[in-house]
Amino acid sequence: MRFSLRLTVLFGLFLSLFAILSMRLWFVQIAEGAAAVEATDNQSWVTVDTPAPRGDIRDRNGLVLATSRFVPAVVVDRHLVNKEDKDVLIQRLSALLAIPADDIAAMYEAAGVNGTFTVAIVDTVEAYQINEKLSLFPGVRIEKVPERVYISGTSMAHVIGQLGLPTADDIEQRSELNPSVRIGKSGVEARYDEWLQGDSGEVSYQVRLGDVISQRPEVPATPGNTVILTLDSELQAVVENALVEGIQLSNEWKDGQRAAGNSSAAKNETVRGAAVVLDVKTGEVVSMASYPTYDPSLFVGGLDVDTYSLLADGQAFLNLAVSGQYPPASTFKAVTYLTFLEENVPLPDDVEGIDPASKVVHCDGQLELSRLNDGSAQIFRDWYTGDKGWLDVSASLQQSCNIFFYSVALGIHDAWDGTPKETVLQEMARGLGYGAPTGIDLTSDPAGVIPDRELFLAWQEAQMDDPEEAPRLLDESRLDGRDPWFGGDLMNAAIGQGTVSATPLQVALSYAAMANGGKVWQPYVVREIRDPKGNLIELNTPTLKNEVDLDPANVQRLLTDLNRVVTQGTAASAFRGFGDSLFDVGGKTGTGQSIAAKDNHAWFAGIAPISDPRYAVVVLIDEGGSGGAVAAPVARQIMQYLMGEELDPIVAGESAQ
Amino acid sequence: MATIAPSLTAVSDRRGNRPDPILISMVLMLSGFGLLMIYSATRFGLERAEQIPTGTMERQMIFVTAGLIAIGVFSFIDYREYRNFLPIIYGVIVLLLVAVFLFPEVNGARRWIPIPLFNLQPAEFTKPVAIITMAYVLSQGNDPDRVKWRQIFQVLFLAGIPAALILLEPDLGTTLTIPFVMLVMLFAAGANWKQMTTLIGSGVIAIAAAFHFDLLKDHQERRIRVFLDPSLDPQGMGFQLRQSKLAIGSGQLTGKGLFEGTQTNLAYVPEAETDFIFTAVGEQLGFVGGVLLVAGFLILIWRLLVIAAQARDRFGSLIAVGIAGMLAFHVFVNIGMTVGIAPVTGLPLPFLSLGGSFYLAMAISIGIANSIWLKRSPVPDH
Repeated sequence: MRFSLRLTVLFGLFLSLFAILSMRLWFVQIAEGAAAVEATDNQSWVTVDTPAPRGDIRDRNGLVLATSRFVPAVVVDRHLVNKEDKDVLIQRLSALLAIPADDIAAMYEAAGVNGTFTVAIVDTVEAYQINEKLSLFPGVRIEKVPERVYISGTSMAHVIGQLGLPTADDIEQRSELNPSVRIGKSGVEARYDEWLQGDSGEVSYQVRLGDVISQRPEVPATPGNTVILTLDSELQAVVENALVEGIQLSNEWKDGQRAAGNSSAAKNETVRGAAVVLDVKTGEVVSMASYPTYDPSLFVGGLDVDTYSLLADGQAFLNLAVSGQYPPASTFKAVTYLTFLEENVPLPDDVEGIDPASKVVHCDGQLELSRLNDGSAQIFRDWYTGDKGWLDVSASLQQSCNIFFYSVALGIHDAWDGTPKETVLQEMARGLGYGAPTGIDLTSDPAGVIPDRELFLAWQEAQMDDPEEAPRLLDESRLDGRDPWFGGDLMNAAIGQGTVSATPLQVALSYAAMANGGKVWQPYVVREIRDPKGNLIELNTPTLKNEVDLDPANVQRLLTDLNRVVTQGTAASAFRGFGDSLFDVGGKTGTGQSIAAKDNHAWFAGIAPISDPRYAVVVLIDEGGSGGAVAAPVARQIMQYLMGEELDPIVAGESAQ
Repeated sequence: MATIAPSLTAVSDRRGNRPDPILISMVLMLSGFGLLMIYSATRFGLERAEQIPTGTMERQMIFVTAGLIAIGVFSFIDYREYRNFLPIIYGVIVLLLVAVFLFPEVNGARRWIPIPLFNLQPAEFTKPVAIITMAYVLSQGNDPDRVKWRQIFQVLFLAGIPAALILLEPDLGTTLTIPFVMLVMLFAAGANWKQMTTLIGSGVIAIAAAFHFDLLKDHQERRIRVFLDPSLDPQGMGFQLRQSKLAIGSGQLTGKGLFEGTQTNLAYVPEAETDFIFTAVGEQLGFVGGVLLVAGFLILIWRLLVIAAQARDRFGSLIAVGIAGMLAFHVFVNIGMTVGIAPVTGLPLPFLSLGGSFYLAMAISIGIANSIWLKRSPVPDH
């Protein structure tokens, strides 16, 4: 081939390369040109979401507990930031707002190309400062954004809940979420988040050469709906105050115990407690408090790690009323009491100190049971010393005599062990709401434990299959393959001990059910939801979860005996000076022992009024020491308020279970 | 092709030592057009930043001025002199390519030697040096229509060293320019089909091996993968490619008009003044402007081939062919990249893209080509 021909071939090659380019240009610019124009046109429209203000949360009387206000925020619109200006802009914002430049840079990147993000909420002075020198801050504008305000402060914090930025999981579940807008993380804020969120609005404008050249009509944000609680602020204040004083009282009582040389009852400082007031007729939660508490406002702008850890370590975020699980102890005797009466449980006839014919037992401090040879303890001691004499079921409830209720369990064991009736006590408990989540419209609603043979067998199997992984619920002696369910276990269950556990809310729910004749309501904290204009859009009505068929005579007898507890029984000293309506209130003390706790948990579960039950009141002081001495006085003050009595100071009652 | 062949062989009209008017005027037109495009793409951003809107263009004007001087200087250096200094020139460029590794990394690459006024990019100057080197090797021997295997190995060795150094920087686009230009020059020098297919075949195997044994830098491999499937990287490279295609596409037949570009001006298209300068052309001047630009480059390349045809010796011919191949490769890969038919390898567009070393290297190449034109026949009094 001659040189000139080779050059011609090369020219042909280059010509065809350029022809390919030209054809590609024709395709991109002519064939697809119109689509590209449309795409670039759309691209020049900037759409910015305007977050909706969260709906209000109000108490049952309409008092505002949480609302939203508009505050100035520094917003960066990356459409309007040249890449050369980015670093300077970040430095200037960092200097002005005292936010580390790295943090701002991270937000900048996270917003994506042409994204918009909020750098910080600022006060009015800062907002003016930035507004005056906006030319130094290309792409920055001051916008009014809604911010949550908790008027109620720390009050009802556990019911109201708190906010937080959505996690990746949240966004996966709810694609409509804006990653920079906070959502409810606990309590009503979380459970009713979709009602409270509102719909964000939209501002669209067309940018050309950096100037806004046209704007579409703004779509305004729709504020969230108003959630109206069943809780009553005034009662709540009484309850929260009484609870705090009860914790103080517990520590004073412990000082007294130590001074009297009984330091084994006062190993720890008392720091936690919970209280619930339920409407017996509906299941409405009229008051609910948990201590220690926190201010949900801390979460509005994000919480620093140190403060968070401090509060979390103190379990401040835990709603003990709903989520705390404790042995219900002697408060549970009311359940055994009803079982005994409803099922006509025959008392054993071969044990010294039990008279099945007269249905009385000798409450002399201990019960010896040499014949239970299934692994049960041989001696069941009572909490008191001395001799209370021969007591029937009523007097035993009033005096909280363990031996009587042990005898009931023993009677069930003797008469029905191995038959379907062996679980009459557990069925009564489950019927009254124990052993299952209450279904309350809050987060973390555990089931608690009502033990029986079936449960112990399941635990035994799990523990023997996988000794490393399974929780150690049963001790070693029950892992030899024998039947792990002992008669003694039912005896412990009968006094609300052993493996029985329940939340304060469950105890309140069961007392409400026992008082109203057997109706177990699903408890709820939100009464209704109204739109921003005030129109009712959702009404929570009482939901009957279960109804236990109780003999009205037995219910009446129980109520009378609960009244005697506060007039002449274990809570009599705590209720001294209650007022004229003392005849119309009642309740039961409880002092729970658990392996996990050093000191005993103090309980009181009450009903007011007795004549026409309206409220169930439960007070729990975590490691409070004594139900009669510590929890009963707290409940007494709350019930004084409910009955319209003058509130007496909280002082220690009798140290009784 | 039939219409071109006569003009390529029209060697009878030898009036002597005047610069090639078409070559020089095409370079002037392309450079002026480039300045306009750089201004249109950067003016707005500079205004927004409260800087002089012509700032970036003025910077390029300095390079263009220096480049035009370089064309003049290199036009009057007798290209045949390079043969005598070739070992020195080649040694200096290899040293400079090694020297870049002494300087800090910028954006993940070591390509620059910071000197006053601008950052020297030795890889750009390697292009004309490699062309001269290969032309020298291939012009040896008696038979003008044949290439010996020994020459091929010499070319592979001599071009391979700088190519390998540039690959290490890394600068994939410039590295790939060298084998393309080598093939073009070998073909022009008369390599037979067996030699050509052997070389191309082993090149294909080498590229496959590079992929297989992960010899490519991550970002290079990613660029190629994103080129094949832009959705792999919708925010970064994919975003750039998509925006580039949209900007060019939105220019449609006649463009939005000068300074009316909304995409290239608004930071939708990153690097619209350097590697992606063609997006500014496509958006503002449309298909018509784009094709006219491509035609302009074709005229330039045609002139270089005419120079090759009329050169007084094989050395000059092969240099001119090499320069033509180099320009063609840059134009195709650069514009192809902006419209999605070539990977984003970072090759700039000759005479248009902002950049000092690149402009100077191109200008020097044109100067050398012009020198070949000037010396195409014995000067009368020689």
